[in-house]
Parts: sequence; C-alpha cells; structure tokens
Amino acid sequence: MAELLRAEHLTKRFKGLTANDDVEFNILAGEVRCVIGPNGAGKTTFISMISGHLQPSSGRIWFRGEDITRMPVVERARLGIARKFQTPSVFNRLTVYENVELAVLGTGRPSHRREARVREVLELVRLSEQSNRPTVMLSHGQRQWLEVGLLIGNDAELMLLDEPTAGMTAEETHSTGELVRSLARDLSLSAIIIEHDINFIRNLEAPITVLHLGRVLAHGNYDEIARNELVRDSYLGH
Amino acid sequence: MTEANRTRVLPGLPPQVRRVREPVVAIGVLALLALLPLLFSGYVIYILPQYMLFGVLAMSLALLWGFCGMLSFGQAGFFALGAYTMGLCVQHAGAVGVNAAYLALVISMAAGTAIASAVGYFLFSAGVRDSYFVIVTLALSIIAEQIAVGQSQITGGWNGMFIPRMELSLWRWKFPLDSDASIYYVIVVFVAATYFFLRWITRAKFGKVLAGIRENEDRVLSLGFKVPLYKTATFAISAGLACMAGALYGTHAAFVAPSLAGVLFSTEVVVWVAIAGRSSLLAALLGGIVVSSISNALSAITPQYWQLVLGVLFVLTVAFFRGGIAGAVHRFAAHRGG
Repeated sequence: MAELLRAEHLTKRFKGLTANDDVEFNILAGEVRCVIGPNGAGKTTFISMISGHLQPSSGRIWFRGEDITRMPVVERARLGIARKFQTPSVFNRLTVYENVELAVLGTGRPSHRREARVREVLELVRLSEQSNRPTVMLSHGQRQWLEVGLLIGNDAELMLLDEPTAGMTAEETHSTGELVRSLARDLSLSAIIIEHDINFIRNLEAPITVLHLGRVLAHGNYDEIARNELVRDSYLGH
Repeated sequence: MTEANRTRVLPGLPPQVRRVREPVVAIGVLALLALLPLLFSGYVIYILPQYMLFGVLAMSLALLWGFCGMLSFGQAGFFALGAYTMGLCVQHAGAVGVNAAYLALVISMAAGTAIASAVGYFLFSAGVRDSYFVIVTLALSIIAEQIAVGQSQITGGWNGMFIPRMELSLWRWKFPLDSDASIYYVIVVFVAATYFFLRWITRAKFGKVLAGIRENEDRVLSLGFKVPLYKTATFAISAGLACMAGALYGTHAAFVAPSLAGVLFSTEVVVWVAIAGRSSLLAALLGGIVVSSISNALSAITPQYWQLVLGVLFVLTVAFFRGGIAGAVHRFAAHRGG
C-alpha cells in the first residue's frame, strides 16, 4: 500500500503550552488508525494540523508526496483530506439529501452523475429513508453518520474522525466501526480516528497511537498498547 | 399529518410547498402588475414603478441575507449610487453617441459590482463575517451619503440632482418614456427579469452553496468550496442589481438627494425584507412594494408616528415570526396541507 500521509516532527506551541511535541505519524492508503490519549493530550490539535485548521509551529506534513504544511483548509479538502468535527457539523436546516448533494457538488462531478452518487452515499451511511427529512430531525447518531456521508460524498481519501461515536448507542457505535472498516476495505478510504470508547477501538483492530502531554507515548496494536506499562500508568490506569 | 409534513414548518426551511407554487404566484403578480395601467391611471400608475424598484432593492437584500446569511445595511448606498450615475450620465449625454441612459445602466451595474467585489473580497478573505460585515455595510451607506453631501459640485449636495427622464432607443428608432404608462412597462420588464434571474441563480449550484454557507460556513469551507469567492460574488450581484434599480429610480423620480443613500433608508429596506420574509424572493419583492406603499400612506396619515408603527411591526416580526409573513403563510399552508 502506498503511503498517503506523513507527519514529521510535528510541533504546536500555544504561548507557554506545547500541545504537540515532535509527533511522527504516517498512514497508508486504505488504512485505519486510532489516536487515543487522555483529555489534553493534543489529539484534536494533531487532527487540526492535518486538516489545516491549525498551522504547526514546526515540522512538516506530506500528502501523497506533496508538502501541504502551509496549505489552507479549502485546498486540503480538494486534495481529499476531510474532517469530521467533534460536534456534528452538518447543515441543520437543509434536508439530508441536500446535505450530501452539497458535498457531491464540491467534487465537480458532471450534473447528470450527481444524483446517483448522492443516493449511493446515502445508502452507505444508511440514511436513504431519511433523505427528505430536515437534518435537525435526525438523532445525534444519525447526524454523525450524515457527517461521515458528507466526507464520502466529497470524495475524501483521508477521513479525520474526531470522536465519531460520541453520543451513540452501543449498537450505533458497533455499526460505525463496521462502516469505517468496510470503507477502508472496499473503497480504500483511510481514516484517522480519535476516540475514547475503548471497546470501539478494540473492535476496529487498527493500529493505535497513544498521545500523552503532546508526545507519542506508544504505538502498536490493541494488545501491545494494553500491556504497555507507560500507557497503563498515564491513561488506561484511571 | 405525516412526519415529513410537520418538518416543513421549521422557519427558513426551503419548503416543498413554496417551491412548486412560488413561480406560479410570481407570474400572476407580474401579470397583474402589467395589467394595472389598463385599469388605472394617474398617481397609482405614476408611483407604483418606484415601489417596484424598491421591490428589486428588497430582492437584492434577500439574496444576500435570506439566501447567504449576510445582512447588509448598505443597499441604499448602492441604490443611490445608481441614481446619481444615471443623473451624471444623462447630464453629460452630449459627449457620447450612445443612449446615455443605457450607458448609465451599464456603468451603474459595473460600479456597484466593482465596489462590492473590492470591499467584499478583502472582507471575506480576511474572515470578516456576521455582525462585523453588517457594521461595514452600515459604514458604506454613511460614506455614500457623505460623498453625496460633500461633493456638491458634482452631486448638488443637499439640494440634490435633477435627472431628465430616459428614452428608449434602438439605432434610429427613439421612444421617449415621458408618459407614466410607458416607463411603467419598462420597469415591470426589469422587475420580472431581475426576479427570474435571481430565482435561477438561487436554484442553481451557486444557490445551493449559498444555502450551505448560510447554514454552516465552516463546513462548506471544509468541503473544499472557496467560500470568500462565493460571498464576494453574492455581494457583487446584489450590489449591481441595487445600483441598476437605483438608476431606473433616478430617471423615474427625476430627482435624487443624499438621503436616498442614508442609513435610514437602508434600514427601511431591511424592515421590508424582514416583515415580508427574507428567504423568498417573491416575498421580498412584495415586501418592497407593499410595505413601502403602506409606509408612504402612513406617513401621510400620521407623520409623527408612522416610523414608530413600522418599528413595532419590525420588532414583532423579529420576536415572533423569524421567517416574516412568507414564513407564517407557509407554516399555515403546511398545517392545512398536512
């Protein structure tokens, strides 16, 4: 698999606070990766530097071999880096269909191919039956899925999912895991996931990076991480 | 009532009901306006075109506010810019071979578009939005009014500027618009063209992106749309239309004074659109026509209190009917229809 994204020596300082300190990270096409860590570990800062919402103080970010360190959000989005925010960021007063349509419009597909694509995406995120409803009527979990649908409809290659299962029922959390895995497997869609839900992470069977106080504390699969003394002390222990 | 129907009562939601009926109603309204000169004459036919141009001004604000979420208190500034442009062009008509009024329409549209593009591009690229944008547009109105007052050698200052009535011409054919009915029809055609142009762009891809910006600007940006360009284009189109409407107003009213550019008139435009309903072009058009006629009538009946009456209506609308009358009518229709 080809390398999709690489972050080198990524550091972000906010005045006195170092939110990310020399973080190294890379992800392949079609790979799913989890980033975990206690509150304040710098997870969202890390994702924000990759999406372009924050500029790193030092370090570099490469996407498909291109240096995107200083590239603005809108151009990264056009390259296929798409972010799901912590609280669902969708268009509340538009219908579900119109939401996904807008994402598809952003890809520059010819107009006759748009509707089929919107339907296909709605099918993937299981919102076909809700397509004419205003988004505000959806449950919290469905809104999360709709936002994932926006990323898919926008032809994302790398999804940055910030707590995608927050506010979901156990069943919804489980299907979210299945969705992310099937997108990676079938559509070769990569994902970097920030999560707190340890069961969700275990079920994903994806490599895990543990951040602590802005640094990479450990890296490995679930069992390795669970056995790691440092991680247990700093995070899993409490 | 089904779930799907109940959902349509949400304020500001683009409703299925209105989508089907609005153009039909609009064609009816425009046809009615076109028929009026056959039924009436005198003051009504003289004054209505001015209100229709206020309606266009209201639609230009609805595009900006209702469809893209950007409130502007600068529309009157552009309207007055158009009127002054018409005056200056017609005064200096001898210098050029073409119809000065045509030139004025083109120049005023270009001037409004250019000013709004320049101002908009810098503001939106720098991330200025919401109330900060409102304040800048407020300043635009004040600047326009101050220039109209201050540059009296060009504008006539407080005395205002007299503007001869335009004429239609095509090669050697000339048709003066001195009669009330003749200019009335020219303005009806302009109103219809503006309405259908705006309807077209608001329903095209452009309009869908605007709705997205109105609902969630950051999300639209994260989907890879160049939001500042969309907002600049919207502001420019809105300003260009306001200027053209102003140019026609100038030649119709035969007079323009600095107060046409002022904050007070800009605020009136906002009131028309808020009361009528900002998310519908037709409502904005009717708001411009009807509310401004009512204001005019009220100002004759009770010169002291009419602005108070309008102000109270505005407050009631903002407090209880966020979607304006169009929103309330639509809510009623959705309940009945369900």
